[in-house]
Amino acid sequence: MSVFNRNEKDAGNNMTGGEKPRDTMPAAVAPAKPVQASVQPIGTSEAPKSIGVSVISKALRITGQLESTEDIRIDGEVDGDIHGVSVTVGPGAKVKGSVYGQTVELAGTIEGKIEAKKVVLTSTAHMAGDVIHQDIRIESGAYIDGHCRPGTNKVDNRPAEVKKIPAAAS
Amino acid sequence: MANIAAEERGLRYGTKLGIAMSAAPARPLLKPPRIDGMAGALISHLSRAMTIKGDLESDGEVVIHGNVTGQVCADRLVVSVGGYMEGDIIARDVRIEGRLSGRIFALNVTLDAAAEVSGRIFHNTITVAKGARIDARMPWRPPSYFETLEQLPEART
Repeated sequence: MSVFNRNEKDAGNNMTGGEKPRDTMPAAVAPAKPVQASVQPIGTSEAPKSIGVSVISKALRITGQLESTEDIRIDGEVDGDIHGVSVTVGPGAKVKGSVYGQTVELAGTIEGKIEAKKVVLTSTAHMAGDVIHQDIRIESGAYIDGHCRPGTNKVDNRPAEVKKIPAAAS
Repeated sequence: MANIAAEERGLRYGTKLGIAMSAAPARPLLKPPRIDGMAGALISHLSRAMTIKGDLESDGEVVIHGNVTGQVCADRLVVSVGGYMEGDIIARDVRIEGRLSGRIFALNVTLDAAAEVSGRIFHNTITVAKGARIDARMPWRPPSYFETLEQLPEART
């Protein structure tokens, strides 16, 4: 790349005499652009603003188990258990399985179980299953079909096994 | 307990798949390109602390910073620096900056300088940066191969 840049600069310096080449340059470069785009479709993934939070967007469907030692936000569909610290199930999201965490906030649908220290069911929540909690808030409009019962202190919300991510060889 | 539940789910999913395959014609694995331009807005981030064992299916972009074991079907997939993925990837665009053990089925593949890949890379166009560690075969396939892909070829080791 640096080679190209230098050439461009040199060309620019050489062409300072006339304006004409400048006008023709972009026209010549323009048709080549789509080709380049197809070769390198994805730009370098910019570092996410909040690296700790995992986001399952509404386009994503997961079948399997999720485990995180950080926060999880779900807007898509999950068919399986979720272990997190702070788990937010957004409006429109659907979870079939158990959700474990310190804090669980539900605005979507869960078919299964919630086991958390702090549970918040917002007005759009649809909960089909039991809620085991130490502290619960239910907003007007929330739907619950299941038992709410205070969990004992021995409830362990931490993920059972946290795999250490091996550092990539630098 | 969790294992039993997972197995049950796997079975259920399997039977569901079986029905889908026998009753309806198999659906191509590769998602059709999004025309509404929403793909950029539908990015899923899986953070470093995240471990997923299972299959992911998305018609948006998926960025993996953590650990994923399973099959991923997406429009775009990025295995970011520090990310590790084990399993098969079916996507339009794939960018690997982390580690991958498995197969890629993608039209456009980009392997970054920090990439570590072992397996097979079925591609139509590929870009490999200097420094990437690749222990993989890279068969070229025409675009139609990916668009009509309904079942992955059996993995040969």
